[in-house]
Amino acid sequence: MTAGAPATRTTEALLVDALSAGYGDTQVLWDVSLRVDPGEVVALIGSNGAGKSTLLGAISGIVKTWSGAARYGETSLTGLEPDRIVSAGVLQVPQGRRLFGSLSVEDNLRMGAYLRKDREVESDLKRMLDLLPKLRERYDYLAGRLSGGEQQQVAIARALMARPQMLLIDEMSLGLAPVLVDQLIELLASIHQTGVSILIVEQDVQTALEVSSRAYVLETGRITLSGPSAELLDDPQVKKAYLGV
Amino acid sequence: MHLLAQDLVNGILAGGILAVVALGFSLVWGIMNIINLAHGAFVMLGAYTTYQLFTSFHVDPFVSLPISFVLLFVLGYLIQRLLMNWIARAPLLTTFLFTFGLSLLVVNIALIVWSGDTRGVTTAYSGANFTLGDVTVPWAKLYTLLAALAITGTMQLWLVRSKTGRAIRATSMDIGAAQLSGVRVTEIYAIVFGLGAGLAGVAGTLISLSYSLHPTMGDLFLIKAFVVCVLGGLGSVQGALIGGLVYGIVEAFATQLDFTIGTQHISGSGLQDAIALIVLLIVLIVRPRGIMGKATA
Repeated sequence: MTAGAPATRTTEALLVDALSAGYGDTQVLWDVSLRVDPGEVVALIGSNGAGKSTLLGAISGIVKTWSGAARYGETSLTGLEPDRIVSAGVLQVPQGRRLFGSLSVEDNLRMGAYLRKDREVESDLKRMLDLLPKLRERYDYLAGRLSGGEQQQVAIARALMARPQMLLIDEMSLGLAPVLVDQLIELLASIHQTGVSILIVEQDVQTALEVSSRAYVLETGRITLSGPSAELLDDPQVKKAYLGV
Repeated sequence: MHLLAQDLVNGILAGGILAVVALGFSLVWGIMNIINLAHGAFVMLGAYTTYQLFTSFHVDPFVSLPISFVLLFVLGYLIQRLLMNWIARAPLLTTFLFTFGLSLLVVNIALIVWSGDTRGVTTAYSGANFTLGDVTVPWAKLYTLLAALAITGTMQLWLVRSKTGRAIRATSMDIGAAQLSGVRVTEIYAIVFGLGAGLAGVAGTLISLSYSLHPTMGDLFLIKAFVVCVLGGLGSVQGALIGGLVYGIVEAFATQLDFTIGTQHISGSGLQDAIALIVLLIVLIVRPRGIMGKATA
Protein backbone atom coordinates (compact mmCIF):
# COMPACT_ATOMS: atom_id res chain seq x y z
CA MET A 1 0.00 0.00 0.00
CA THR A 2 3.03 2.26 0.01
CA ALA A 3 4.13 4.18 -3.05
CA GLY A 4 6.91 1.67 -3.63
CA ALA A 5 4.64 -1.37 -3.75
CA PRO A 6 4.83 -3.34 -6.98
CA ALA A 7 2.15 -2.43 -9.51
CA THR A 8 1.05 -6.03 -9.90
CA ARG A 9 -0.38 -6.21 -6.40
CA THR A 10 -4.07 -5.51 -7.02
CA THR A 11 -5.97 -7.78 -4.70
CA GLU A 12 -8.07 -4.89 -3.42
CA ALA A 13 -11.00 -3.47 -5.40
CA LEU A 14 -10.62 0.14 -4.31
CA LEU A 15 -7.38 1.58 -3.06
CA VAL A 16 -6.92 5.11 -1.83
CA ASP A 17 -3.30 5.96 -1.21
CA ALA A 18 -2.16 9.03 0.77
CA LEU A 19 -4.81 11.18 -0.85
CA SER A 20 -5.00 14.90 -0.12
CA ALA A 21 -7.74 17.17 -1.45
CA GLY A 22 -9.72 20.29 -0.71
CA TYR A 23 -11.58 23.26 -2.11
CA GLY A 24 -9.83 26.46 -3.21
CA ASP A 25 -7.10 27.13 -0.66
CA THR A 26 -8.67 25.01 2.05
CA GLN A 27 -7.25 21.55 2.51
CA VAL A 28 -9.85 19.08 3.73
CA LEU A 29 -8.14 15.67 3.42
CA TRP A 30 -4.61 14.87 4.62
CA ASP A 31 -2.89 11.73 3.34
CA VAL A 32 -5.96 9.53 3.55
CA SER A 33 -5.38 5.86 2.78
CA LEU A 34 -7.94 3.10 2.75
CA ARG A 35 -8.85 0.00 0.83
CA VAL A 36 -11.95 -2.01 0.03
CA ASP A 37 -11.45 -5.64 -0.99
CA PRO A 38 -13.61 -7.26 -3.68
CA GLY A 39 -17.06 -8.06 -2.34
CA GLU A 40 -16.40 -6.32 0.96
CA VAL A 41 -18.59 -3.80 2.79
CA VAL A 42 -16.45 -1.14 4.41
CA ALA A 43 -17.65 1.78 6.50
CA LEU A 44 -16.15 5.24 6.72
CA ILE A 45 -17.36 6.98 9.83
CA GLY A 46 -16.72 10.36 11.31
CA SER A 47 -18.48 13.48 12.47
CA ASN A 48 -19.94 16.23 10.37
CA GLY A 49 -17.25 18.12 8.44
CA ALA A 50 -14.59 15.42 8.84
CA GLY A 51 -14.20 15.24 5.05
CA LYS A 52 -16.12 12.04 4.29
CA SER A 53 -18.06 13.45 1.34
CA THR A 54 -14.93 15.18 0.05
CA LEU A 55 -13.18 11.81 -0.03
CA LEU A 56 -16.03 10.24 -2.01
CA GLY A 57 -15.98 13.28 -4.30
CA ALA A 58 -12.27 12.84 -4.92
CA ILE A 59 -12.72 9.13 -5.71
CA SER A 60 -15.59 9.99 -8.09
CA GLY A 61 -13.58 12.73 -9.79
CA ILE A 62 -15.84 15.66 -8.92
CA VAL A 63 -13.40 16.99 -6.31
CA LYS A 64 -9.87 17.60 -7.51
CA THR A 65 -7.19 15.40 -5.93
CA TRP A 66 -4.20 17.48 -4.79
CA SER A 67 -1.80 14.61 -4.20
CA GLY A 68 -1.87 10.88 -3.63
CA ALA A 69 -3.88 8.45 -5.70
CA ALA A 70 -7.04 6.42 -5.99
CA ARG A 71 -7.24 3.23 -7.95
CA TYR A 72 -10.00 0.78 -8.80
CA GLY A 73 -8.63 -2.65 -9.74
CA GLU A 74 -6.09 -1.91 -12.45
CA THR A 75 -7.59 1.49 -13.29
CA SER A 76 -6.03 4.63 -11.85
CA LEU A 77 -8.89 6.99 -11.00
CA THR A 78 -6.77 10.01 -10.20
CA GLY A 79 -7.29 12.81 -12.71
CA LEU A 80 -9.96 10.93 -14.65
CA GLU A 81 -13.15 12.71 -15.72
CA PRO A 82 -16.17 11.62 -13.60
CA ASP A 83 -17.76 9.81 -16.56
CA ARG A 84 -14.64 7.64 -16.98
CA ILE A 85 -14.85 6.69 -13.33
CA VAL A 86 -18.48 5.68 -13.84
CA SER A 87 -17.37 3.60 -16.84
CA ALA A 88 -14.78 1.93 -14.62
CA GLY A 89 -17.68 0.67 -12.48
CA VAL A 90 -17.34 3.00 -9.49
CA LEU A 91 -20.69 4.64 -8.72
CA GLN A 92 -21.55 7.14 -6.03
CA VAL A 93 -24.94 7.54 -4.39
CA PRO A 94 -24.54 11.14 -3.27
CA GLN A 95 -25.57 12.65 0.01
CA GLY A 96 -29.07 14.11 -0.02
CA ARG A 97 -30.14 11.73 -2.86
CA ARG A 98 -29.55 14.44 -5.51
CA LEU A 99 -32.29 13.08 -7.75
CA PHE A 100 -33.33 14.93 -10.89
CA GLY A 101 -36.42 16.36 -9.25
CA SER A 102 -38.36 17.37 -12.36
CA LEU A 103 -37.71 14.08 -14.13
CA SER A 104 -39.90 11.04 -13.57
CA VAL A 105 -38.68 8.10 -11.52
CA GLU A 106 -38.31 6.18 -14.77
CA ASP A 107 -36.16 8.91 -16.32
CA ASN A 108 -34.00 9.07 -13.19
CA LEU A 109 -33.37 5.34 -13.47
CA ARG A 110 -32.63 5.69 -17.18
CA MET A 111 -30.12 8.43 -16.37
CA GLY A 112 -28.28 5.85 -14.29
CA ALA A 113 -27.82 3.77 -17.44
CA TYR A 114 -26.64 6.83 -19.41
CA LEU A 115 -23.29 5.34 -20.47
CA ARG A 116 -24.58 1.85 -21.18
CA LYS A 117 -24.84 0.77 -24.78
CA ASP A 118 -26.01 -2.81 -24.22
CA ARG A 119 -29.56 -3.98 -24.84
CA GLU A 120 -30.30 -5.09 -21.29
CA VAL A 121 -31.28 -1.69 -19.91
CA GLU A 122 -34.98 -2.48 -20.23
CA SER A 123 -34.67 -5.80 -18.40
CA ASP A 124 -32.59 -4.07 -15.70
CA LEU A 125 -35.38 -1.51 -15.26
CA LYS A 126 -37.78 -4.40 -14.65
CA ARG A 127 -35.30 -5.93 -12.22
CA MET A 128 -35.18 -2.67 -10.23
CA LEU A 129 -38.97 -2.68 -9.93
CA ASP A 130 -38.88 -6.28 -8.74
CA LEU A 131 -36.24 -5.36 -6.22
CA LEU A 132 -38.12 -2.23 -5.12
CA PRO A 133 -41.85 -2.89 -5.65
CA LYS A 134 -42.75 0.45 -4.08
CA LEU A 135 -41.22 2.22 -7.07
CA ARG A 136 -43.56 0.47 -9.48
CA GLU A 137 -46.51 2.61 -8.43
CA ARG A 138 -44.29 5.71 -8.37
CA TYR A 139 -42.73 5.02 -11.77
CA ASP A 140 -44.29 8.01 -13.56
CA TYR A 141 -44.12 10.41 -10.62
CA LEU A 142 -41.69 13.30 -10.64
CA ALA A 143 -38.82 12.23 -8.41
CA GLY A 144 -39.05 15.46 -6.42
CA ARG A 145 -42.54 14.49 -5.22
CA LEU A 146 -41.43 11.27 -3.53
CA SER A 147 -40.90 10.80 0.20
CA GLY A 148 -37.36 10.75 1.58
CA GLY A 149 -37.26 6.96 1.85
CA GLU A 150 -38.55 6.48 -1.67
CA GLN A 151 -36.08 9.03 -2.99
CA GLN A 152 -33.21 7.15 -1.36
CA GLN A 153 -34.40 3.94 -3.01
CA VAL A 154 -34.46 5.69 -6.38
CA ALA A 155 -30.99 7.12 -5.78
CA ILE A 156 -29.59 3.67 -5.07
CA ALA A 157 -31.49 2.12 -7.98
CA ARG A 158 -30.20 4.87 -10.27
CA ALA A 159 -26.64 3.94 -9.38
CA LEU A 160 -27.40 0.23 -9.80
CA MET A 161 -28.66 0.91 -13.32
CA ALA A 162 -25.04 1.59 -14.27
CA ARG A 163 -24.21 -1.99 -13.24
CA PRO A 164 -21.55 -0.89 -10.78
CA GLN A 165 -18.87 -3.11 -9.28
CA MET A 166 -18.20 -0.66 -6.48
CA LEU A 167 -20.80 1.49 -4.75
CA LEU A 168 -19.92 4.56 -2.70
CA ILE A 169 -22.95 5.44 -0.59
CA ASP A 170 -22.95 8.79 1.16
CA GLU A 171 -25.17 9.27 4.24
CA MET A 172 -27.83 6.80 3.19
CA SER A 173 -29.73 6.99 6.47
CA LEU A 174 -29.67 10.76 6.97
CA GLY A 175 -33.10 12.10 7.81
CA LEU A 176 -34.90 8.77 7.48
CA ALA A 177 -37.02 6.93 10.04
CA PRO A 178 -35.36 3.84 11.57
CA VAL A 179 -37.84 1.48 9.91
CA LEU A 180 -36.89 2.90 6.50
CA VAL A 181 -33.21 2.60 7.34
CA ASP A 182 -33.73 -1.07 8.12
CA GLN A 183 -35.34 -1.59 4.71
CA LEU A 184 -32.42 0.13 3.00
CA ILE A 185 -29.96 -2.04 4.90
CA GLU A 186 -31.77 -5.11 3.62
CA LEU A 187 -31.47 -3.64 0.14
CA LEU A 188 -27.73 -3.15 0.63
CA ALA A 189 -27.38 -6.73 1.79
CA SER A 190 -29.07 -8.02 -1.35
CA ILE A 191 -26.84 -5.78 -3.52
CA HIS A 192 -23.83 -7.08 -1.64
CA GLN A 193 -24.98 -10.64 -2.37
CA THR A 194 -24.59 -9.95 -6.08
CA GLY A 195 -20.87 -9.34 -5.55
CA VAL A 196 -20.81 -5.53 -5.49
CA SER A 197 -18.22 -3.99 -3.16
CA ILE A 198 -19.61 -1.22 -1.00
CA LEU A 199 -18.08 1.73 0.82
CA ILE A 200 -20.64 3.35 3.08
CA VAL A 201 -20.18 6.75 4.64
CA GLU A 202 -22.33 7.33 7.68
CA GLN A 203 -22.91 9.60 10.61
CA ASP A 204 -25.04 6.84 12.06
CA VAL A 205 -22.03 4.97 13.39
CA GLN A 206 -23.99 2.15 15.02
CA THR A 207 -25.67 1.21 11.74
CA ALA A 208 -22.47 1.60 9.73
CA LEU A 209 -20.50 -0.69 12.01
CA GLU A 210 -23.25 -3.30 12.11
CA VAL A 211 -23.46 -3.71 8.33
CA SER A 212 -19.74 -3.52 7.51
CA SER A 213 -16.88 -5.94 8.02
CA ARG A 214 -14.21 -3.26 8.44
CA ALA A 215 -14.28 0.43 9.15
CA TYR A 216 -12.18 3.58 9.08
CA VAL A 217 -12.62 6.59 11.32
CA LEU A 218 -12.02 9.96 9.66
CA GLU A 219 -11.37 12.93 11.93
CA THR A 220 -10.69 16.44 10.59
CA GLY A 221 -9.42 15.02 7.32
CA ARG A 222 -7.20 12.25 8.68
CA ILE A 223 -7.79 8.54 9.23
CA THR A 224 -7.31 8.12 12.98
CA LEU A 225 -8.51 4.59 13.52
CA SER A 226 -9.27 1.51 11.47
CA GLY A 227 -10.03 -2.14 11.98
CA PRO A 228 -12.73 -4.81 11.95
CA SER A 229 -16.10 -3.21 12.59
CA ALA A 230 -16.91 -5.56 15.47
CA GLU A 231 -13.77 -4.41 17.29
CA LEU A 232 -14.50 -0.74 16.65
CA LEU A 233 -17.97 -1.21 18.13
CA ASP A 234 -16.25 -2.14 21.38
CA ASP A 235 -13.49 0.43 21.12
CA PRO A 236 -13.76 2.81 24.10
CA GLN A 237 -12.66 5.77 21.97
CA VAL A 238 -15.34 5.09 19.33
CA LYS A 239 -17.96 4.44 21.99
CA LYS A 240 -17.23 7.73 23.68
CA ALA A 241 -16.99 9.86 20.54
CA TYR A 242 -19.69 8.39 18.28
CA LEU A 243 -21.97 6.03 20.14
CA GLY A 244 -22.67 8.21 23.14
CA VAL A 245 -22.05 5.49 25.70
CA MET B 1 -63.75 44.52 -37.21
CA HIS B 2 -61.97 42.83 -40.11
CA LEU B 3 -58.87 44.81 -39.17
CA LEU B 4 -58.86 43.13 -35.78
CA ALA B 5 -58.93 39.65 -37.30
CA GLN B 6 -56.19 40.62 -39.75
CA ASP B 7 -54.01 41.94 -36.91
CA LEU B 8 -54.53 38.76 -34.97
CA VAL B 9 -53.48 36.62 -37.93
CA ASN B 10 -50.48 38.85 -38.66
CA GLY B 11 -49.48 38.57 -35.02
CA ILE B 12 -49.67 34.79 -34.98
CA LEU B 13 -47.71 34.54 -38.24
CA ALA B 14 -44.96 36.79 -36.88
CA GLY B 15 -45.09 35.09 -33.50
CA GLY B 16 -44.13 31.72 -34.93
CA ILE B 17 -40.83 33.15 -36.14
CA LEU B 18 -40.23 34.86 -32.80
CA ALA B 19 -40.82 31.57 -31.02
CA VAL B 20 -38.00 29.94 -33.01
CA VAL B 21 -35.73 32.97 -32.49
CA ALA B 22 -36.35 32.76 -28.75
CA LEU B 23 -36.18 28.96 -28.45
CA GLY B 24 -32.42 28.59 -28.88
CA PHE B 25 -31.74 31.66 -26.78
CA SER B 26 -33.99 30.31 -24.04
CA LEU B 27 -32.39 26.86 -23.99
CA VAL B 28 -28.87 28.26 -23.66
CA TRP B 29 -29.96 30.69 -20.96
CA GLY B 30 -32.12 28.24 -19.03
CA ILE B 31 -29.78 25.26 -19.16
CA MET B 32 -26.32 26.85 -19.12
CA ASN B 33 -27.17 30.16 -17.44
CA ILE B 34 -25.48 31.97 -20.31
CA ILE B 35 -27.16 35.01 -21.85
CA ASN B 36 -25.84 34.63 -25.38
CA LEU B 37 -25.52 38.13 -26.81
CA ALA B 38 -24.28 36.61 -30.07
CA HIS B 39 -27.65 34.94 -30.63
CA GLY B 40 -28.80 37.78 -32.90
CA ALA B 41 -25.59 37.49 -34.91
CA PHE B 42 -26.27 33.76 -35.33
CA VAL B 43 -29.77 34.60 -36.59
CA MET B 44 -28.19 36.97 -39.10
CA LEU B 45 -25.75 34.26 -40.24
CA GLY B 46 -28.64 31.88 -40.82
CA ALA B 47 -30.45 34.50 -42.90
CA TYR B 48 -27.34 35.20 -44.99
CA THR B 49 -26.68 31.48 -45.44
CA THR B 50 -30.13 31.21 -46.98
CA TYR B 51 -29.59 34.37 -49.03
CA GLN B 52 -26.28 33.07 -50.39
CA LEU B 53 -27.64 29.62 -51.22
CA PHE B 54 -30.67 31.20 -52.87
CA THR B 55 -28.80 33.74 -55.01
CA SER B 56 -25.84 31.50 -55.92
CA PHE B 57 -27.49 28.10 -56.28
CA HIS B 58 -31.24 28.84 -56.39
CA VAL B 59 -31.82 26.76 -53.28
CA ASP B 60 -35.33 27.31 -51.94
CA PRO B 61 -35.27 28.87 -48.46
CA PHE B 62 -37.26 26.00 -46.99
CA VAL B 63 -34.73 23.55 -48.41
CA SER B 64 -31.91 25.54 -46.85
CA LEU B 65 -33.48 25.18 -43.36
CA PRO B 66 -31.50 22.02 -42.50
CA ILE B 67 -28.35 23.50 -44.04
CA SER B 68 -28.59 26.61 -41.82
CA PHE B 69 -29.21 24.39 -38.85
CA VAL B 70 -26.22 22.14 -39.43
CA LEU B 71 -23.79 24.97 -40.27
CA LEU B 72 -24.76 27.02 -37.23
CA PHE B 73 -24.90 23.94 -34.98
CA VAL B 74 -21.32 23.10 -35.90
CA LEU B 75 -20.23 26.72 -35.38
CA GLY B 76 -21.93 26.89 -31.97
CA TYR B 77 -20.64 23.48 -30.92
CA LEU B 78 -17.05 24.42 -31.79
CA ILE B 79 -17.26 27.83 -30.10
CA GLN B 80 -18.47 26.20 -26.89
CA ARG B 81 -16.09 23.25 -27.09
CA LEU B 82 -12.94 25.17 -27.96
CA LEU B 83 -13.48 28.52 -26.27
CA MET B 84 -16.44 28.88 -23.96
CA ASN B 85 -16.04 25.70 -21.95
CA TRP B 86 -13.15 27.48 -20.28
CA ILE B 87 -15.54 30.07 -18.90
CA ALA B 88 -18.93 28.34 -19.03
CA ARG B 89 -19.27 28.29 -15.27
CA ALA B 90 -17.68 31.67 -14.76
CA PRO B 91 -19.77 34.55 -13.42
CA LEU B 92 -22.51 35.77 -15.77
CA LEU B 93 -20.56 38.93 -16.62
CA THR B 94 -17.68 36.92 -18.10
CA THR B 95 -19.85 35.03 -20.56
CA PHE B 96 -21.81 38.24 -21.18
CA LEU B 97 -18.63 40.00 -22.30
CA PHE B 98 -17.44 37.01 -24.30
CA THR B 99 -20.65 36.67 -26.30
CA PHE B 100 -20.81 40.45 -26.78
CA GLY B 101 -17.33 40.37 -28.32
CA LEU B 102 -18.28 37.34 -30.39
CA SER B 103 -21.31 39.21 -31.70
CA LEU B 104 -19.19 42.21 -32.76
CA LEU B 105 -16.75 39.88 -34.48
CA VAL B 106 -19.41 37.98 -36.42
CA VAL B 107 -21.31 41.13 -37.45
CA ASN B 108 -18.13 42.81 -38.71
CA ILE B 109 -17.05 39.74 -40.66
CA ALA B 110 -20.52 39.74 -42.24
CA LEU B 111 -20.07 43.42 -43.14
CA ILE B 112 -16.83 42.54 -44.93
CA VAL B 113 -18.28 39.52 -46.72
CA TRP B 114 -21.73 40.83 -47.67
CA SER B 115 -21.19 44.63 -47.26
CA GLY B 116 -23.69 46.87 -45.52
CA ASP B 117 -26.20 46.82 -48.35
CA THR B 118 -29.72 45.67 -47.59
CA ARG B 119 -30.53 42.35 -49.22
CA GLY B 120 -33.63 40.28 -49.70
CA VAL B 121 -34.72 36.79 -50.61
CA THR B 122 -37.52 36.97 -53.18
CA THR B 123 -38.96 33.64 -54.21
CA ALA B 124 -41.60 32.90 -56.82
CA TYR B 125 -44.18 32.57 -54.06
CA SER B 126 -43.05 35.64 -52.09
CA GLY B 127 -45.97 37.80 -53.19
CA ALA B 128 -48.61 35.07 -53.28
CA ASN B 129 -51.42 35.07 -50.75
CA PHE B 130 -54.92 33.81 -50.24
CA THR B 131 -57.93 35.35 -48.53
CA LEU B 132 -60.07 33.84 -45.86
CA GLY B 133 -63.14 36.03 -45.45
CA ASP B 134 -61.67 39.49 -44.92
CA VAL B 135 -58.28 38.22 -43.84
CA THR B 136 -55.32 38.05 -46.22
CA VAL B 137 -52.69 35.40 -45.54
CA PRO B 138 -49.39 35.35 -47.45
CA TRP B 139 -48.47 31.76 -48.32
CA ALA B 140 -44.81 32.26 -47.41
CA LYS B 141 -45.75 33.40 -43.91
CA LEU B 142 -48.14 30.51 -43.44
CA TYR B 143 -45.44 28.02 -44.46
CA THR B 144 -43.08 29.81 -42.11
CA LEU B 145 -45.50 29.42 -39.22
CA LEU B 146 -45.99 25.73 -40.00
CA ALA B 147 -42.21 25.24 -40.14
CA ALA B 148 -41.86 27.07 -36.82
CA LEU B 149 -44.46 24.83 -35.18
CA ALA B 150 -42.78 21.72 -36.60
CA ILE B 151 -39.39 22.87 -35.31
CA THR B 152 -40.58 23.65 -31.78
CA GLY B 153 -42.56 20.39 -31.67
CA THR B 154 -39.58 18.33 -32.79
CA MET B 155 -37.36 20.09 -30.28
CA GLN B 156 -39.76 19.36 -27.42
CA LEU B 157 -40.11 15.72 -28.43
CA TRP B 158 -36.34 15.33 -28.67
CA LEU B 159 -35.72 16.90 -25.27
CA VAL B 160 -38.28 14.64 -23.60
CA ARG B 161 -37.70 11.37 -25.44
CA SER B 162 -34.08 11.13 -26.50
CA LYS B 163 -31.24 9.99 -24.27
CA THR B 164 -29.24 13.16 -24.92
CA GLY B 165 -32.33 15.32 -24.36
CA ARG B 166 -32.87 13.63 -21.00
CA ALA B 167 -29.23 14.19 -20.08
CA ILE B 168 -29.56 17.87 -21.02
CA ARG B 169 -32.56 18.27 -18.72
CA ALA B 170 -30.82 16.34 -15.95
CA THR B 171 -27.71 18.50 -16.26
CA SER B 172 -29.80 21.65 -16.00
CA MET B 173 -31.25 20.36 -12.72
CA ASP B 174 -28.10 19.11 -10.98
CA ILE B 175 -24.68 19.23 -12.63
CA GLY B 176 -23.00 17.15 -9.92
CA ALA B 177 -25.60 14.39 -9.98
CA ALA B 178 -25.42 14.31 -13.78
CA GLN B 179 -21.65 13.88 -13.62
CA LEU B 180 -22.05 11.06 -11.12
CA SER B 181 -24.37 9.37 -13.63
CA GLY B 182 -21.64 9.49 -16.27
CA VAL B 183 -22.60 12.69 -18.10
CA ARG B 184 -19.68 14.74 -19.43
CA VAL B 185 -20.94 18.24 -18.82
CA THR B 186 -18.57 19.96 -21.28
CA GLU B 187 -20.01 17.77 -24.06
CA ILE B 188 -23.60 18.47 -23.04
CA TYR B 189 -22.88 22.22 -22.92
CA ALA B 190 -21.34 22.09 -26.40
CA ILE B 191 -24.44 20.32 -27.72
CA VAL B 192 -26.77 22.83 -26.06
CA PHE B 193 -24.83 25.83 -27.37
CA GLY B 194 -24.74 24.18 -30.80
CA LEU B 195 -28.51 23.66 -30.64
CA GLY B 196 -29.00 27.28 -29.62
CA ALA B 197 -26.96 28.47 -32.60
CA GLY B 198 -28.60 25.95 -34.94
CA LEU B 199 -32.07 27.13 -33.93
CA ALA B 200 -30.92 30.74 -34.42
CA GLY B 201 -29.78 29.76 -37.92
CA VAL B 202 -33.14 28.18 -38.68
CA ALA B 203 -34.88 31.29 -37.38
CA GLY B 204 -32.67 33.40 -39.65
CA THR B 205 -33.74 31.33 -42.63
CA LEU B 206 -37.42 31.82 -41.76
CA ILE B 207 -36.85 35.54 -41.21
CA SER B 208 -35.18 35.93 -44.63
CA LEU B 209 -38.54 35.11 -46.26
CA SER B 210 -40.34 38.08 -44.72
CA TYR B 211 -37.73 40.64 -43.71
CA SER B 212 -34.86 42.41 -45.45
CA LEU B 213 -31.32 41.38 -44.55
CA HIS B 214 -28.54 43.49 -43.10
CA PRO B 215 -25.49 42.43 -41.01
CA THR B 216 -26.88 44.27 -37.98
CA MET B 217 -30.39 42.81 -38.33
CA GLY B 218 -29.76 40.46 -35.39
CA ASP B 219 -29.80 43.21 -32.75
CA LEU B 220 -33.55 43.73 -32.85
CA PHE B 221 -34.19 39.97 -32.81
CA LEU B 222 -31.86 39.54 -29.84
CA ILE B 223 -33.89 42.05 -27.85
CA LYS B 224 -37.13 40.38 -28.92
CA ALA B 225 -35.77 36.94 -27.99
CA PHE B 226 -34.89 38.32 -24.58
CA VAL B 227 -38.40 39.68 -24.06
CA VAL B 228 -40.08 36.51 -25.38
CA CYS B 229 -38.01 34.44 -22.91
CA VAL B 230 -38.96 36.60 -19.98
CA LEU B 231 -42.56 36.63 -21.19
CA GLY B 232 -42.86 32.86 -21.72
CA GLY B 233 -40.60 31.58 -18.97
CA LEU B 234 -37.01 30.45 -19.29
CA GLY B 235 -35.62 27.23 -20.67
CA SER B 236 -38.84 25.59 -21.83
CA VAL B 237 -40.02 24.94 -25.36
CA GLN B 238 -43.64 25.70 -24.48
CA GLY B 239 -42.54 28.96 -22.89
CA ALA B 240 -40.77 30.09 -26.05
CA LEU B 241 -43.75 29.12 -28.21
CA ILE B 242 -46.40 30.79 -26.04
CA GLY B 243 -44.16 33.80 -25.41
CA GLY B 244 -43.44 34.17 -29.12
CA LEU B 245 -47.09 34.01 -30.14
CA VAL B 246 -48.25 36.39 -27.40
CA TYR B 247 -45.50 38.84 -28.25
CA GLY B 248 -46.26 38.62 -31.98
CA ILE B 249 -49.93 39.41 -31.36
CA VAL B 250 -49.17 42.27 -28.96
CA GLU B 251 -46.79 43.76 -31.49
CA ALA B 252 -49.28 43.41 -34.35
CA PHE B 253 -51.93 45.29 -32.42
CA ALA B 254 -49.56 47.88 -31.04
CA THR B 255 -48.31 48.86 -34.48
CA GLN B 256 -51.91 49.75 -35.39
CA LEU B 257 -52.07 52.32 -32.60
CA ASP B 258 -52.68 55.81 -33.79
CA PHE B 259 -53.29 58.61 -31.34
CA THR B 260 -52.45 62.15 -30.44
CA ILE B 261 -51.13 63.47 -27.15
CA GLY B 262 -51.51 67.23 -27.11
CA THR B 263 -49.97 68.38 -30.38
CA GLN B 264 -47.83 65.23 -30.69
CA HIS B 265 -49.09 62.64 -33.15
CA ILE B 266 -47.98 59.09 -32.32
CA SER B 267 -48.33 56.17 -34.70
CA GLY B 268 -47.77 52.58 -33.65
CA SER B 269 -45.52 51.63 -36.52
CA GLY B 270 -42.93 54.12 -35.26
CA LEU B 271 -43.07 52.53 -31.83
CA GLN B 272 -42.05 49.03 -32.91
CA ASP B 273 -38.70 48.99 -31.11
CA ALA B 274 -40.16 50.50 -27.98
CA ILE B 275 -42.91 47.89 -27.74
CA ALA B 276 -40.49 45.10 -26.80
CA LEU B 277 -39.22 47.06 -23.85
CA ILE B 278 -42.67 48.18 -22.74
CA VAL B 279 -43.87 44.55 -22.81
CA LEU B 280 -40.76 43.49 -20.86
CA LEU B 281 -41.48 46.12 -18.21
CA ILE B 282 -45.11 45.05 -17.84
CA VAL B 283 -44.21 41.35 -17.53
CA LEU B 284 -41.55 42.03 -14.92
CA ILE B 285 -44.08 43.94 -12.85
CA VAL B 286 -47.12 41.68 -13.30
CA ARG B 287 -45.67 38.17 -13.62
CA PRO B 288 -41.88 38.09 -13.29
CA ARG B 289 -41.60 34.33 -13.74
CA GLY B 290 -43.26 34.40 -17.16
CA ILE B 291 -46.45 32.78 -18.45
CA MET B 292 -45.15 29.20 -18.34
CA GLY B 293 -42.38 29.73 -15.77
CA LYS B 294 -42.25 27.86 -12.51
CA ALA B 295 -42.42 29.70 -9.22
CA THR B 296 -39.07 28.33 -8.10
CA ALA B 297 -37.26 28.66 -11.43
